[in-house]
Amino acid sequence: MLINLKKYGKLTVILFYGETMMSAHDQNHPVNNDNSDESTTHFGFQTVEKNEKESKVASVFHSVAQQYDVMNDLMSFGIHRLWKRFTIDASGVRPGNKVLDLAGGTGDLTAKFSQLVGREGKVILADINSSMLNVGRDKLRDRGLVQNIEYVQANAQYLPFEDNTFDVITIAFGLRNVTDKDMALRSMYRVLKPGGRLLVLEFSKPEHELVNKAYDFYSFNILPKMGALVAKDGDSYQYLAESIRMHPDQETLKTMMDAAGFEQTSFKNLTGGVVALHKGYKF
Amino acid sequence: MRQTISQQLMFAQTLSAALETLINQFLRYNLHGTRALKPLSEKTLTVKLAELSFPLSFSVSDEKIHVTTNDEHYNCCLITSISTLIELKKEQQLTDLIKNDKLDIQGDLKVAQRFADIAQTLDIDWQSELAKRIGDVPTYKIGLLGRQLLNKLSFAAKQIPADASEWLVHEKRLIITAAELSYFSRDVEHTEQQTADLNQRINQLINRISKLS
Ligand SMILES: C[S@@+](CC[C@H](N)C(=O)[O-])C[C@H]1O[C@@H](n2cnc3c(N)ncnc32)[C@H](O)[C@@H]1O
Repeated sequence: MLINLKKYGKLTVILFYGETMMSAHDQNHPVNNDNSDESTTHFGFQTVEKNEKESKVASVFHSVAQQYDVMNDLMSFGIHRLWKRFTIDASGVRPGNKVLDLAGGTGDLTAKFSQLVGREGKVILADINSSMLNVGRDKLRDRGLVQNIEYVQANAQYLPFEDNTFDVITIAFGLRNVTDKDMALRSMYRVLKPGGRLLVLEFSKPEHELVNKAYDFYSFNILPKMGALVAKDGDSYQYLAESIRMHPDQETLKTMMDAAGFEQTSFKNLTGGVVALHKGYKF
Repeated sequence: MRQTISQQLMFAQTLSAALETLINQFLRYNLHGTRALKPLSEKTLTVKLAELSFPLSFSVSDEKIHVTTNDEHYNCCLITSISTLIELKKEQQLTDLIKNDKLDIQGDLKVAQRFADIAQTLDIDWQSELAKRIGDVPTYKIGLLGRQLLNKLSFAAKQIPADASEWLVHEKRLIITAAELSYFSRDVEHTEQQTADLNQRINQLINRISKLS
């Protein structure tokens, strides 16, 4: 079995092939040591040092990994499954394609992609967080999905893949957790094949004020309580609500994708704009 | 482009998810179901119904049928309407429907036929399955419609290869008939003769020029 342990920038990449997980020297992901004036960023509503955000996000996802799927169904009333179906439908994926499910976590999109790309295709489930990857790998293995999936621990900002590798890249509910989103978008652009497309599924800004108010109430009053009750982790779900509000709105994200080089960028609002799916191509 | 409410509420995805669950449950109940999928592995049949604003694509993976609403890649595409299917009679020639623009088929006809085979091997009891989910009252009508549609769809797909040669020749102009072929070969022979004549004349001219110089 060929094992690839490479250093990409400051990040050591851990590749999992099938059942084997390779260890690496660097379990604490190095952070973006940006010494520029803009050395701070958001962690939910808090302003933190850029190099602090990554470890804070990491601890959120280490903490929620085991309960992640149950909470997803509970918090979204199962609607996240439809948002993900919408993403799959928009991907235009076909047998033989190579797909990157970035910030793929517990692998919902990977599971579907793996079946649609067939034996000749390949899906890479990449996530910065080993706990999320482990839960994802166990879940997919239990469902008999092993053939064409690879697991890679990687930071979206420094993708450890050759230029022009993927036909489709998805990042679902992941981008808002990334410290430097512009850098991550450029990195995705680099590894996308010409003719390939990027799909960003993310919470966004509801179109109507009324929906916005109801959504705010739900996110800040009900969601953290649910998190405390079910996942015994109210703080992580408070972060979730806050990070959603801090995430760029539809038009801003579209502009960011344009700036990273993507063409024919567009977005579709789902569930009144609570979530949006952005699409962009590399030509 | 403005999005419709049904797009925002993902009606298409709700329907495709429900269909996918139902179809795969039936496949699982039926011993031959998943085995019957083998020859269709990695193939996609797209159905575009006039009554639906989105296509439905049925893609086969190892042991499952996936239903998506994407029509970018398919092996065979069936374009028709539910009302056409309902009116479809067993003895009806599909060529008539094709001529009247009520049905169109693009791509590999065998794929449509294989899907029809699978649908027929499954003894789908729509009514009792649906009753479990949505109760008895609406089930009767929906179940009846579902059964009818499935029968018609599979009849259409089975009938297509029988009628295919006729409509491909007359409607689609994709295949050439024996008569057309013989016209074509006659034309080719004629052109060949003309080229030979021309060649001879050029040679004569060259000879004449070389004699002159
Ligand atoms: C809310 S989960 C989404 C998981 C999955 N895509 C889904 O939709 O269910 C967000 C994921 O983003 C990952 N993540 C956060 N920052 C990241 C980064 N910089 N690079 C890659 N993944 C990251 C987290 O570890 C987490 O698994």
